Amino acid sequence: MVRCLWLLPLFATLLLLSSCSKKSATLTLLVWEGYADPSFVHSFEEQEHCKVSASYMGNSDELVAKLRGGSAGNYDVISPSSDVATSIAAGELAAPLDLSRIPTYNQLSPQLTSLPLVRVNGKVFGVPFMWGPNPMIYDTTAFAKPPESWAVLWDPKLRGKISAWDDLSTVYMAAQILGFDKPDPSQLYNLSDEQLDAVKKKLVELKPNIRKMWSTGGELTNLFQNHEIVAAMGWPLMTNQLRKINFPVGETIPKENTTGWIDHLMITAGSENKDLAYKFLEYMVNAGTQKKVTDVTGYTPANPQAAQFMTADGVKNLHLDDVDNYQKHIYFWQNVPRRAKYNEIWNEVKAAQ
Amino acid sequence: MFSRSYRAAITLPPLLWVTVFLLVPYAIVFFYSFWSVSPGQAIVHSWTLNNYCELLRVGVYLQTLFRSMWIAARVMILSLLLGYPLAYHLSFHAGKRKELFYQLVIIPLWVSYLVRAYAWKTILGSDGVLNTLLQYVHLTSHPWNFLLYSPFAVVLTLTHIYTPFAFLPIYASLEHIPRDLVEASNDLGAPPLQTFWRVILPLSIPGVVAGATFAFVLSLGDFLAPLLLGGPSGIMISNIVVSLFGAAYNWPLGAAISFCMLLLVVGLLFLSERLERKWAFR
Repeated sequence: MVRCLWLLPLFATLLLLSSCSKKSATLTLLVWEGYADPSFVHSFEEQEHCKVSASYMGNSDELVAKLRGGSAGNYDVISPSSDVATSIAAGELAAPLDLSRIPTYNQLSPQLTSLPLVRVNGKVFGVPFMWGPNPMIYDTTAFAKPPESWAVLWDPKLRGKISAWDDLSTVYMAAQILGFDKPDPSQLYNLSDEQLDAVKKKLVELKPNIRKMWSTGGELTNLFQNHEIVAAMGWPLMTNQLRKINFPVGETIPKENTTGWIDHLMITAGSENKDLAYKFLEYMVNAGTQKKVTDVTGYTPANPQAAQFMTADGVKNLHLDDVDNYQKHIYFWQNVPRRAKYNEIWNEVKAAQ
Repeated sequence: MFSRSYRAAITLPPLLWVTVFLLVPYAIVFFYSFWSVSPGQAIVHSWTLNNYCELLRVGVYLQTLFRSMWIAARVMILSLLLGYPLAYHLSFHAGKRKELFYQLVIIPLWVSYLVRAYAWKTILGSDGVLNTLLQYVHLTSHPWNFLLYSPFAVVLTLTHIYTPFAFLPIYASLEHIPRDLVEASNDLGAPPLQTFWRVILPLSIPGVVAGATFAFVLSLGDFLAPLLLGGPSGIMISNIVVSLFGAAYNWPLGAAISFCMLLLVVGLLFLSERLERKWAFR
């Protein structure tokens, strides 16, 4: 035993060395699922001789809570959506960007870069990355033609056959069915107490139909795959994943329209790898990478030049030929001033019998 | 006997451990439960009882707590019903195979909780092993949906996971019963059932109480089983705490609920300690 003691310092030194060398070249992401796929992250790793390690978030609140809860220093790059981007920028959780270090920024769609979402005190905190809707995803063997309205989710015939996203988007969706988005869609993000009560009632009525709430993309894909459910609100990512395994899946935006999001890439204020993070941002918005991200996720790229790598059908599927009209059907998430109240309502819905 | 420095050396590490990893965190939780969150989502360090009022005002929290207790009670009863006969058989009738059976009960504890929860998912799902079998033998024409994503699935999984925890203390207390007492009872003409009822069971009560406490307390605070296998209405109190800390960023309210849970659990442990002592073998 004692004879081996000289090994201990050696071992400790090795441990220290390995942790140091690792730390200097690892870029840590906290992003939505699909944003760290090996199909595009791998070549960045080779190019920069670094390692990219990603964690995924289930909803926007989780991201904010993690950043505020003191883990901001553990992540270098985050991908907040339009609902929390402003508060993250204003709360100094992200670092202001030096746009001269991201040359491709000028190629990005002016409709996105001109938005006030990530601008605070004249500084820019984020780079638009991808955008898309929260469409209805359905099993085509259960629906002969695309469902026309979100109301089908309440159909008594679908008892125990649907899933709901464990996220405030489900609250917005119920508000849309109740018509609270008329005449002004931004009302969805600023509902009154009476309206929230009505939404709660409506969602409690939905509960007998819910088989399981989903909180990660992989979970929803699995629920479809195992024939637990036939319809749900999801992301184009799941439609893409299900198509790849030849599952009979359809995707539609019902007549009430739907909510959607604009995701930005940001560098956290506490990041110790800012140089690498800047390179990553530049890499992620260049046209070639954007095309690859689209292939994985089915989301619309923020860099319109990605279209040059796509087929005519691909461009049409992403509505890149008709962006203005398509965006009329999507109410992009906005900052919710009374987010705590919304969360309370949602918790009550979840706990209701 | 032992030098003072020796005694200090052996008591200090555990004392330090308890202070740093138990008492200090609990104190932090306790302080947080009297703070609040500003509309701008910053934690305000001024004292208020609002969180505890909120607990009583919003019915969800108490309702969910009671539902969690009800689930934990069912798990406790089922674990005892499964664990006691198993322990009894092992202690009195297994003979040479005692060691083997004992290991068989322990081995599942080596398998990760998550793996076991996912295993139940594949067994109980609509396309799962059980439903496929039931349809194959024409017991039913549609899959039984109540099997998965339901309170049933949660109780079943928790029972599976916590039965060994109920089994172990019962087995230990049965092993400690002097066999002379059982033989004396038999020699005096008591039938086996009476021996069990009048001698073995009363002497094993401390083990039963300890096992019941384990099963109840551990399942009361569980959040993974309801998250993975519970239905849309199956959340338990820990899921609410997780969402208050994680999603809602309302640490003070989450801390208030946690502190109430802590009081409840400490109360239960105290009670079970008293019961064990009352029934202890004298």
